[in-house]
Amino acid sequence: MSNDILIKVENLSKSYGDNEVLLNVNMQIEKGEVIAIIGPSGCGKSTFIRTLNQLEEVTSGTIYVDGEDITKPGVDLNDVRRRVGMVFQHFNLFPHLTIKKNLTLAPVKQKLMTQEEANKKAEELLERVGLADKADAYPDSLSGGQKQRIAIARTLAMNPEVILFDEPTSALDPEMVGEVLALMKELADDGMTMIVVTHEMGFAKEVADRVMFFDEKGILEEGTPAEIFNFPKSQRLQDFLSKVL
Amino acid sequence: MKKKLSLLLLAIVSAMLLGCGQKAEETGKIVKTIDDLEGSKIGVQLGTIGDIYASDYEGDEAGTTIERYNKLADAMQALRQGKIDCVIVDEQPAIACTKGEKSLVILDEPFTLEDYAICIAKDNEELLNKVNGALEELKEDGTIEQITANYIGDDTKGTCPYVTPEGTTYDSGKLVVATNVAFPPYEFYDKGEPVGIDMELIKAIGDKIGMDVEIEDMEFDSIINAVDSHKADLGIAGMTMTEERLKSINFSVPYVTTKQVIVSINPDAEGRGLGLVENFKRNFIDDDRWQYLVKGLENTIIIAVCAVFAGMFIGFLVAIVRVTFDKTGKLSLLNKICKLYLAIIRGTPIMIQLLIIFYVVFKSVNVPKLLVAIIAFAINSGAYVAEIMRGGIMSIDDGQMEAGRSLGLSYRQTMVSIILPQAIKNVLPALANEFISLIKETSICGYIGLMDLTRGGDIIRSITYEALLPLVGVAIIYLIIVQLLNLGVGKLEKNLRKSEQ
Repeated sequence: MSNDILIKVENLSKSYGDNEVLLNVNMQIEKGEVIAIIGPSGCGKSTFIRTLNQLEEVTSGTIYVDGEDITKPGVDLNDVRRRVGMVFQHFNLFPHLTIKKNLTLAPVKQKLMTQEEANKKAEELLERVGLADKADAYPDSLSGGQKQRIAIARTLAMNPEVILFDEPTSALDPEMVGEVLALMKELADDGMTMIVVTHEMGFAKEVADRVMFFDEKGILEEGTPAEIFNFPKSQRLQDFLSKVL
Repeated sequence: MKKKLSLLLLAIVSAMLLGCGQKAEETGKIVKTIDDLEGSKIGVQLGTIGDIYASDYEGDEAGTTIERYNKLADAMQALRQGKIDCVIVDEQPAIACTKGEKSLVILDEPFTLEDYAICIAKDNEELLNKVNGALEELKEDGTIEQITANYIGDDTKGTCPYVTPEGTTYDSGKLVVATNVAFPPYEFYDKGEPVGIDMELIKAIGDKIGMDVEIEDMEFDSIINAVDSHKADLGIAGMTMTEERLKSINFSVPYVTTKQVIVSINPDAEGRGLGLVENFKRNFIDDDRWQYLVKGLENTIIIAVCAVFAGMFIGFLVAIVRVTFDKTGKLSLLNKICKLYLAIIRGTPIMIQLLIIFYVVFKSVNVPKLLVAIIAFAINSGAYVAEIMRGGIMSIDDGQMEAGRSLGLSYRQTMVSIILPQAIKNVLPALANEFISLIKETSICGYIGLMDLTRGGDIIRSITYEALLPLVGVAIIYLIIVQLLNLGVGKLEKNLRKSEQ
C-alpha cells in the first residue's frame, strides 16, 4: 500500500437489521486529496462517512486508516478518531463551555497538550476562522455560520490527518453558507485531506479533486469534477444533476 | 411575593388557631355506665389493653364501633370534639390527661382490673429469671411502692424518687429497654428525659442485675416486635399480659395492678378549660417544650440533607449504568440489578422500607437510628434521583456524545465532561424538588422512634394531651421551610434560564 494512501475502504457493507444501506463500497483517499460525495437523500452518504471514524460500525468489509484495519475488535478507536476529525451538520458544539473551552477540552483531557499550549493553539485557530473575539462567548450566542466555523476550528485543534464533513452547510441559513465554504476552501488549499458530503454542487465542482456520486447503496459513479458534472455517464446521475443544478 | 406569602401563612395560621379554640360539637350519646358502651363510639389507643377489651364489643348488634388511635392524645382530642363517645384507657393516664379539664370525666365504675408486666423474648429465659428475681426483691424491700408513690398521690408526688444504691456496678452490660414514652405517669417526657414509674422501676431492676439501662422510645405496637427481634432486651410500657401477646413473647411476674377506666364527656361542663393563649403557653412555652420542635427540626434537616446527597450519589451511579446499557449494551448485569432496585424502591412505600431496614436489615447490628434513617431515605431518594438523572441524560442530544467521541474522548470522558454537566443543569430544579419532598417524607421517622420534627410535635401532644396546637405548629414549620426552599428553586430556575441566553 502506498504511503500516500490515508484511508482505504474494501467491500464495505452496512445494514440496519434487514435494511441494507451500503453494499460493497470500495474507495481510497490519498493525502491532501479533497473528495466530495454527492447524491440524493437517503442514499447512505452520511452513513458511509460515519463508518470512517467508526461512529457507525460496519456490517462487513474493512477500513484501513494509515494501513491499520480499524474495523478489527480491540483497535484503539479513540486514537483513530484523533487522526480522523469530523464536522457535523448540526455543529454539536458543547453549549455549557465557552468557545475557547470547546476547542481546548479534547486535547487537554487526552493529555496531548497542556492547557497553556491548547489555549495558544485555540487562539491561533480562532484567529484563522476569523472569530478571535468570540473566545469567551458561549455557543448559543453565535450565528449558525459562526458555530460551524468554530466546529471546524475545534476539529483542527486535534491536528487531524483527515477531516470528514457531514453536510456541513445543510443546517445553515443561505446567507451563512458562503463563509463556511470559504473556510473549507482555505483548508483544502492548505493541503488538508477532506471528505465532504455535500449538496453544494458549486463547492464540489470548484474545490474537490474527485467527486463520488452515491446512489443505490454505494458509489455509482466517480471521477474528476469535470467528468462528473460535464459528462455524466449514468442516467441516475444525469437525473440527479438535472434536479440540483 | 414575600408579602403575599406571609399573608397566606397568616391566614392559614389564624384559621387553624380558630379551629383549636372551637367548642366540642354536640355528640350523640353520653356514656354514663359500662352498659352504655353498647352502641356507642369507643376510642382506644391502638394495641393497648383497652383496645383488646373494647374489641369484644365491636360489630355487636347494637352497632358499637371502635376508633383506634396511635396516641392517647388523639383519642382525647376526638372525645372533646365529639367524634367518639368515650375512651377506654388505663386509670393513671386517664387521671393525668383529664386533670384540669372540666369537660371530661372518669366514670367511677372501673372497666376491668389489669396486671402490668415486663415483656421479654421467648428465647431469653436467663434474663426473664433475673428480672423476676429482681422484681421479687424490689417488692419485698418496698422500692416498687416508693416509686409508685413518687408519681401517684398528691401528698407523696415528687418526694421519694428512686436513687441508685451506692456502689452499683454494671458488669453485665447494657439493657436496651423498649417503651412508648407517651403514657403518664408510667412513662412520659420531662425536660426531654423519659421519666415515670416504669422508667424508675426498670432503672431499679437494672441496678439489681448489674445492667446499664438504655431507653428506646417507639410506638406502642412496635414494642413486642422490637423485643422479639432483639432490637431491645425487654419492653416495659404499662403492658398487660394477654393470651394473644403470650404467643409471641414472655412476661415477667406482674409489678403493678391497675384499672381500665372509661373517660367520658361531662354533660354539665361548659366549654373547654383553657383559652388560646394559655393553650399556646402550655404546649410550647411551659417546661421549654418548644425545644422538642427545635431538636426535631435539627434531626429532620440532618436526615434530609445527608440523605439527599447520598441519594444523589446513588442516583448518579444507577442512572449512568442504565444509560450506558441503553446506549452501548454494556453493563447488562448491573443494569438488571439497577432495574430491580428501582422497581422495589419505587414500588413500595417509604415507611415500609424504613421499617424493614430498621427491623430486618439492621436487626442484630447496633446502628444509630439517625444513620438508619439517613440510609433508608438515601436508598429511597436514590431511586427517584436515578430516574430524574436518566431523564436528564437522555434529554441531551446524541450529537453531543458523537462530537465528544469524534474528538477522541473516551465514553467516560465524554460522559463526565460533556454529557453530565449539561444533564445536571437541566435537572437541578427537579433535584431541588426531590429534596423538598424528602423533607416532608422524613416525618415518618417516628416509626423507628427517632425524634424528627413530627415526632417532636407528637411528644408535646403526649405531654399536653392537646392534638391541634402542636400539629399546627409542626405544620407551620414544615410550610415555612418548604416555602423558603421553593423560593430558592424559583431563583435557581430563573438564573439557569438567564445563563442560557
